[in-house]
Amino acid sequence: MEIIRQSSSLPQLADAANRYFEDYVPGSIHEYGAICVEESDLIGFGRCYAPYKCHTDAAKAAQGPHGGLVASEAQAAAIMMRLLVDNFLSTVASIASPGFDELRCYRSVRPGDVLSIRVTALKARRSVSKPDQGTVWDQVELLNQDREVVLSLTTIGMLRCRPKTSESNRP
Amino acid sequence: MDIERRIIRNDISAPIEDRYLEDYLPGNVCECGSVRLEEADLVEFAREYDPQIMHASPELAKAGPFGGLIASGWQTLSVMTRLCCDHYISEKASRGLLGIEELRWRRPVRTGDLLWARIRVLQVSHDPWQSTGVLRSLMELLNQDGELVMTIVAAHRMSCRREAEQKRDGNHQAIE
Repeated sequence: MEIIRQSSSLPQLADAANRYFEDYVPGSIHEYGAICVEESDLIGFGRCYAPYKCHTDAAKAAQGPHGGLVASEAQAAAIMMRLLVDNFLSTVASIASPGFDELRCYRSVRPGDVLSIRVTALKARRSVSKPDQGTVWDQVELLNQDREVVLSLTTIGMLRCRPKTSESNRP
Repeated sequence: MDIERRIIRNDISAPIEDRYLEDYLPGNVCECGSVRLEEADLVEFAREYDPQIMHASPELAKAGPFGGLIASGWQTLSVMTRLCCDHYISEKASRGLLGIEELRWRRPVRTGDLLWARIRVLQVSHDPWQSTGVLRSLMELLNQDGELVMTIVAAHRMSCRREAEQKRDGNHQAIE
């Protein structure tokens, strides 16, 4: 898996070590990437977690319905997570995620594909019982090199609000 | 990763090597296992796909909110994928995952946990104009104490047996 740094013309979030609930503004859109996946990545993951021939055996996969090796959908989702961790999530405020909703698989990932993400902040809700934290819902789309959507889902993240003491340090 | 291929309960009568959409009946339950992840498995997956401290660094994770290393939720999803490949979704008939309506991580997975699945067929919809249909399933992943670790409602596209048999008969005729 090759990590490729790309710049985006879209507005940037605060530095990951200074990123809090308040920084994820509903309606904002961010793009990050990219990761290039190789045949060996697909086969390695497939042997462990999805041992179907379409994920593990290039020769047999060529005869199958996909006409070649494709990544397991779980691997495509995991690559999406790597792009989120490297670029979007906070390193100081993340608490946990209860899960995600509405994952849709649209296209296969093939060896050599260059994958990036487009993240749209959908909704942010501060906790009533714990006012120093909140929950953010984001739509995340995994895109390939032709900017086709490979998969999309709605992630749910719980994170801390910006501490009051650091309020004056805001950029 | 330590895998023991074990069926605890299986209501689906057709064996997984010869199983099509028609063989899944709503209410059918498949309980199967098991997968055990070691620390090295957690760290290896995390370094590649989810390099957050609680998943990737055994030392630093000790001081973190979970008091030790926990598996990435995406690795937990991958374990469920493995159990489905081995015991539930037939490779012959699988046309891929359409989507997951909802996934919830309910408890952390830790080093050495023994994970197994309880899968229930929710709905089978068959499009008469196509050779495939959609299988909707409730998938629960549990640990060695029978505690729920993760729940998923997933939809897979599957081939129909009728179509596969017609195709096979057609091939036989062509060969004859």
